[in-house]
Amino acid sequence: MHQSASPCWHCGDPIPAGVDIQAEIGGQARAMCCHGCQTVARLIDSSGLGRYYEFRDALPERPELDHIEADDFIAWDRPAIYDHYARSDCDGFYRLTLVLENVHCAACAWLIRRFVGALPGLAEVRVDVSDGRVHLRFDPKRTPLSEIAARLASLGYRPHLDSPLAGTARNQTERRQMLKYIVVAGLGMMQVMSYALAKYIGAWQGMEPEAERFFLLISMVVAVPVCLYSGQIFYKSAWRTLIQGRMGMDVPVAAAMLLALFSSVYITLFGSGAVYFDSVVMFIFFLLLGRYAVLVARQNAGQLHSALARSLPVQTRRLNDSGSELVSLVELSVGDRLQVAAGETVPADGRIDSGVVMVDESLLSGESIPRRRVAGEQVLAGSLVREGQMVLGIEELGQSTALSGIVRMLDQARTYKPRMALMADRLAAWFVAFVLTGAAVSGVVWWQIDPSMALPVVLAVLVVSCPCALALGTPVALAAAARGFARLGVLISRPDALEKLPKISHVVFDKTGTLTLPEMRIDQVQTLKDFDADRARRLAGRLERISRHPVATAFVRFDDGGAIDQAESVTAQGVSGSINGVDYRLGKPEFVGQWLEEIPEPPGAGQWVALARPGQLLAWFSLDSPFREGAASLINTLHEAGLTVWLASGDRHENVVQAAEQLGIENHRSECSPADKLELVRQIQTEGGRVAMIGDGINDAPVLAGADISMALAEGADIARTQADLVVTGKGLNRIAAAFALAPRVRRIVRQNLTLSFSYNATALPFAAAGFVPPWLAAIGMSASSLVVVLNAQRLGRRSALGDGRRKTGDGRGALSNAGSGSSPSSVSRLPSSGTPQP
Amino acid sequence: MNIIYVLIPLSVILMIIAIYFFFWAVRNDQFDDLDTPALDILDEDEGPASGQKHERQDGD
Repeated sequence: MHQSASPCWHCGDPIPAGVDIQAEIGGQARAMCCHGCQTVARLIDSSGLGRYYEFRDALPERPELDHIEADDFIAWDRPAIYDHYARSDCDGFYRLTLVLENVHCAACAWLIRRFVGALPGLAEVRVDVSDGRVHLRFDPKRTPLSEIAARLASLGYRPHLDSPLAGTARNQTERRQMLKYIVVAGLGMMQVMSYALAKYIGAWQGMEPEAERFFLLISMVVAVPVCLYSGQIFYKSAWRTLIQGRMGMDVPVAAAMLLALFSSVYITLFGSGAVYFDSVVMFIFFLLLGRYAVLVARQNAGQLHSALARSLPVQTRRLNDSGSELVSLVELSVGDRLQVAAGETVPADGRIDSGVVMVDESLLSGESIPRRRVAGEQVLAGSLVREGQMVLGIEELGQSTALSGIVRMLDQARTYKPRMALMADRLAAWFVAFVLTGAAVSGVVWWQIDPSMALPVVLAVLVVSCPCALALGTPVALAAAARGFARLGVLISRPDALEKLPKISHVVFDKTGTLTLPEMRIDQVQTLKDFDADRARRLAGRLERISRHPVATAFVRFDDGGAIDQAESVTAQGVSGSINGVDYRLGKPEFVGQWLEEIPEPPGAGQWVALARPGQLLAWFSLDSPFREGAASLINTLHEAGLTVWLASGDRHENVVQAAEQLGIENHRSECSPADKLELVRQIQTEGGRVAMIGDGINDAPVLAGADISMALAEGADIARTQADLVVTGKGLNRIAAAFALAPRVRRIVRQNLTLSFSYNATALPFAAAGFVPPWLAAIGMSASSLVVVLNAQRLGRRSALGDGRRKTGDGRGALSNAGSGSSPSSVSRLPSSGTPQP
Repeated sequence: MNIIYVLIPLSVILMIIAIYFFFWAVRNDQFDDLDTPALDILDEDEGPASGQKHERQDGD
């Protein structure tokens, strides 16, 4: 592996050999891996925001080199955008929300606020780290939206317009309402408890009857409004399930609350006996805390969905009578004609009027090899034009495109309830019926024995056996696990996978793009006639600048930004261009050979591209795809865990054998089509194995679907496209090993929670029915059991629960520096105590 | 002992005031972003560094 000692200061990626890029940060020269990182780091430093590197506790993705200018977003300044997405304040300011890519931690939010907030005319910049949204209030006359967007994009936080239909507003209202309930219940609880305490102490030491009466009345005055206000969600939810003829866990909860409250009011006003104001308020408060935890977890899990908006372009070029204009997508209508060029994403479904293009339809079909489309053929929104250009007539827009259909399907798949949670729900419904019967029976029995004990016993039974802990146990654990996984950089799209992950016996890897990086790398350079190798790399970098072909990824780091004229990319052949007056070609031997007497012979095996000028061959580059960081250690970890590892690849036999040997994988198959891979998975399954398939999520969608669990590696917009159960974001493979390590803990904690709550309910119920448990003790017992379950689940989300992730030490250096080695970097103990921004 | 007849209603009134201000704070977005304000405090004592200079060029 060609890696130098220190990783890139900005993104933490290893710096490839032959790259020497530096940027001065805070007066010190720091090594960078590419010009993209250099640009962003310089930008951050020159804005006086270098402290970002001290604050951050997560690494950014490597920014793309694209030179971002306000022009890239110019269509966002059109009135249609403001009409559609923004809300106008009367003072000339507009409010608007953008969805950003790559927002990781509070330091990102800080950086964005400082960097964008410094623009003139920005009254408010608020960043929500949990869902990656930025809420702006700005004056478009002083700073147009396009400039704000370009500024965000230049930092690596590519912005997308947030659909006004999105559920954020509803989420916010829900969260705020819940906060209000909790605080009212909490303050009320403190008050009522203090009165109750005074009453209990008074009962020992003797208290004047009127003082006791006063405490009773004031308890009622505080408790009744608090219970009616804060307990609303339970009454409403119980009522909803009742009128639907079902049994929800809120039914006994609401019954206990209302029964205790109104009997206490009755006793206070007309009778004598014990009152339960303190118990009710405490009961409500603790239940609300549990509900709030679930709500926040659910909302955070929803952030996956917002990735959908990212699949479509920011703006498009519409043809009109006088030529063409850049417009935003909301302005398009069926029948419009668009011009779409190489590198652009098709914004709507339509038919090609003229032109020939190679389109990448991987988003829609999973097929990554670009297809040729000519006039008269259909192209779909979300496809990427790799080469050529076309004029497109729009047939379907927005919600009616094929892409929207796919996204809707994905959303449905993601919102369905996991099996574990469903089981707990069914159990809880049975339990509720049981509890209600039990309460009624013990009430009737006690009415015969001692009528004054009937009410306390019924209350105690209802409260003590509230199946909250039972119903909370699983969802809270899954939510905490999802958070834990998200910290590792693993997103869970189907929570069932968590249940299956510990049972996996075989792991099948794809090679290209999974164990290896999707980008290519220059392995060797052979120059002819004493041509300088560095110069050859730089020339090649410039030539490949305009190319969108995968081969270009190997050269882009060597682009020195110099001038190039008549740059042209020839489909499936290579690139050509003129530098300092000399014509160059870079590409396949046949392509370059057109300038030479004969087609040159590559100097060795593997993939070679040639660089030449007319009549003279200059250099050969051999290309390969490097392994992802941590590939070897992942395979080791899996072997140590007793799993069988397979490598199934579509690549040629010798490449696969070589890769398998390097990584120590004993089982491998080469030259597999997706169908062959699926066959392999099925075969292992019939032999009784349970298979986890790890791929790039797009090319191998059918295989992923056939496996017991699928994992995909994806970055940026691709996250929305993958169909896998677990999506591993970013580049490192370490996270997969961490996910395998975390999954058994999830199952263990779900089981612990279920056992705990069941045994608590089962033991407490007889005691309560026998009259040994006063209602206040029942309330404490119930709350304690719920709290124990919630706290137990939190162990999954805690940072110390995670072996290794992308977390780093306070100075921004650390965990990823020992890349690719067998040792597991431990950054956890060195984390700064201040950097735990988890709400 | 009679003082409790004054003090306890007073505490209830204080609680109502506290709840009122809490609701006001929730309405005014005070509880929407709990992550970044923690970092702002680190920034303020930085003194006349380049970051401050940058901020001042806008009037808001």
